[in-house]
Amino acid sequence: MKRYMGKRILFSIFSLIVVVAAVMLLVYSLINRNVIFQQDDMWNKKSSNDRAVYEYTMYSKYGYLDFVDYSAFLKNKYEPLLGSEYTKDAAYKADKDAIQDETTFLENASVQEFKDFYEKKGYVINYLTPDRSKSGKVKSGGNAYLLAVHEKSVFLRVWDYFRHLISIETTRDVTDPALAERYIRVERDPYSGFYAVVGSGTTHKYLLYVDGRFPFLHQNFIHLNLGTSYTKYRGQEITQVINRPTGDQLKMLTQYPAQIGTDEYIESAIDFHTLTYNYNPRTKTEMGQFPDQYTAHSYRFGGLSMLENSFVAGIIATIIAYLLGLPLGIAMARHKEGLLDKIGNGYIIFIMAVPSLAYIFLFATVGTTLFKLPYKFANAEAKIFAYFLPIISLALPQVGGLMKWMRRYMIDQMNSDYVKFARAEGLSEREIFSKHISRNAMIPLVHGIPANILGCLTGAIITERVYAMPGVGNLLTAAINGHDNGIIVACTVFYTSLSIISIILGDLLMAKFDPRISLTASKGGGR
Amino acid sequence: MADITNKDFQFIDINTIQAEKITAPRYSYWASVFRVFFRKKVNIVLIALFVLLLVCSFIIPIFCPYVPYEYVTDAKTYHLNPKAAMEYFGGFSMKWIFGSGAQGNSIFYGIWASARTSLVLAVICAAINMTIGILLGAVWGYSKRFDQVMLVIYNIIANVPYILLITVLVYIIGSGFWSFVFALTVTGWLGIAYFFRTQVLIIRDREYSLASRCLGTPIPRMVSKNILPFLTSVTVTLLATELPSYISMEVFLSYIGAGLSADVASLGRMIQEAQSAFLIYPWEFWPPVAIAATITIILYVLGQNLADASDPRTHM
Repeated sequence: MKRYMGKRILFSIFSLIVVVAAVMLLVYSLINRNVIFQQDDMWNKKSSNDRAVYEYTMYSKYGYLDFVDYSAFLKNKYEPLLGSEYTKDAAYKADKDAIQDETTFLENASVQEFKDFYEKKGYVINYLTPDRSKSGKVKSGGNAYLLAVHEKSVFLRVWDYFRHLISIETTRDVTDPALAERYIRVERDPYSGFYAVVGSGTTHKYLLYVDGRFPFLHQNFIHLNLGTSYTKYRGQEITQVINRPTGDQLKMLTQYPAQIGTDEYIESAIDFHTLTYNYNPRTKTEMGQFPDQYTAHSYRFGGLSMLENSFVAGIIATIIAYLLGLPLGIAMARHKEGLLDKIGNGYIIFIMAVPSLAYIFLFATVGTTLFKLPYKFANAEAKIFAYFLPIISLALPQVGGLMKWMRRYMIDQMNSDYVKFARAEGLSEREIFSKHISRNAMIPLVHGIPANILGCLTGAIITERVYAMPGVGNLLTAAINGHDNGIIVACTVFYTSLSIISIILGDLLMAKFDPRISLTASKGGGR
Repeated sequence: MADITNKDFQFIDINTIQAEKITAPRYSYWASVFRVFFRKKVNIVLIALFVLLLVCSFIIPIFCPYVPYEYVTDAKTYHLNPKAAMEYFGGFSMKWIFGSGAQGNSIFYGIWASARTSLVLAVICAAINMTIGILLGAVWGYSKRFDQVMLVIYNIIANVPYILLITVLVYIIGSGFWSFVFALTVTGWLGIAYFFRTQVLIIRDREYSLASRCLGTPIPRMVSKNILPFLTSVTVTLLATELPSYISMEVFLSYIGAGLSADVASLGRMIQEAQSAFLIYPWEFWPPVAIAATITIILYVLGQNLADASDPRTHM
């Protein structure tokens, strides 16, 4: 069994890598890369050569290429010789201005050095000639640039992506030589009253702690970096985007770390569990507030994050669906061809055949006009009511699916010998249905439970769109409409891993639920 | 009564071949399928409705071509409800029976042109996916060596959510009609092939197949006589869910902005354009939704009933 699982997990990781590599290959080689500037204000403001350099900067930020600017090269050359005052040096200035003349710039020694050095490393030297108007004056933003550009191959990008996918915090993370001691230890956490794992030298101060926010136990040891958003959330990490709480800041009475033990309190939304290392020396006020360099922090918010929003709505809908769908399916099978069965079948056909878009809008119309429920998420006066319609829209289709399969499996089981035997023994129909048949009929349905629960993390595309619910469901579609390759790759990794995990968990759960099923069947297939 | 003499009788040799024949009522599979199918009156009604839909969506666009930007210069024609539209364009006309859309386009003509696109798309995609799926599935189930290779491929691709795959593909290769067909079929056959592989695997090792193999039946005959007939009802069941699913898929993808391009009239696009203000201009939103729903329901129910009828156990 262990060997089987090991093999399976290895294969899953392999297939994840294949899929992500394939998607990255397609996305990075077939999509025109300049689409990311379509709605970029910075790009619109710049013109001529400045714009070209800005493009290179962004491409290098998003991993398309590596590039070195000539001025950076000069800085590296002169700074070690002359110190921080190097910009005032005449030789530096001469070298720097040499490229502004397109006819003579190649005669400069530094330019030659730059060119030879990077050509040897496989870079392509790119000279942006000064953009002059007819009078010979350089246009605004038209200054010449000398760049060495190295296009990254897609395979290298795939490798880089996976290398940075998971990062683990260690005490060597902070490179500041001023830091005196490095440790990871368990301390009493003044903010929660329990204990917490606290680090020094790690990026975060609190590595494992408890607080009042779901899921109550939080860790900062392992970070998942799914990549950076290109256009939708310019430059932000996607893992942070989907986990960042929304809403208003939640102020409460708290104390700065240096104030602990005193009776000084402040009213603030600062979440001291999020403290991270700050390389800038502490200011005077900060000296009084923080005992160490861990001063950077984020705030506490009242609302849920995108991921939580989707998950909360999804999980409630799934629970409702199982609570309704399974008993209804059993009842339909028990009264086959009866009124309930006919109504149920009509409903199943409706859910199966009609495009989901159509019935979600139908639910929305009925809910808003008949029951006066809030329609758009943001317009709801009480946030709790805003969840009603999305949850109903998510639950009702699931109910249909569960009813359909439960009924089918029940009917398949109803003529089995063990049912006849149970009847012969004189068990009541009620008992036979609720204890014997339904337990067997549920086995195939158990397989889908992990997929349904983990599926809540991917959100619901249509439902979230219709009700304008701030969830993760539309991340992918928004990314596609905004040409955000970073999010597309992140979504591929996220969705594919969830799907792999839920299939494995489903198999394990099914084997647990039904002892007859063995995942490691011996060859020949017979028992 | 005349006497019976020996002349009235004649000798007949024992015919061993004749003796083997069993007298049974003549049975034709497809005749029985349709007998059972048409026994249900619902099916006749649904077929009539479906033919009407087909005629409408293939004939109406020929005589009344849908020109979305016909009145785009006249802002007064935008978002007119049926009554206002008919008043504006002078009296009753079928063209304005569902009012006008965001560019003064006729909703009525729009839904038929779109329905045609959806139907053609569904038939083409189903034909491609089912053909490749069934053929490959049969080989996949029959050949053990092929099975090993295909399982690896399947396990890799099946891990990727289908929606993700299609949206990313549409994003990459563009959204024309044929690239959309490509996106829907490039991996769509895999699920069908896997389904058939499992079915073939079950039947391949049944006793009657084993007996047939022992008697030396060649493989092509095994496949065509022993295995494929058994899968007819399964095929029809699959077709019944596949056909409507492509229509739903198109509607869904167009809604999220990864569907057909603007120059192809499609139900998904009409719905997508009307959805933002569907409470204010309901006449723009509900007709395409209703047509999409009607087509899918009819196809689904007809398919399910045909699948039931194609199961020989219902022929008694």
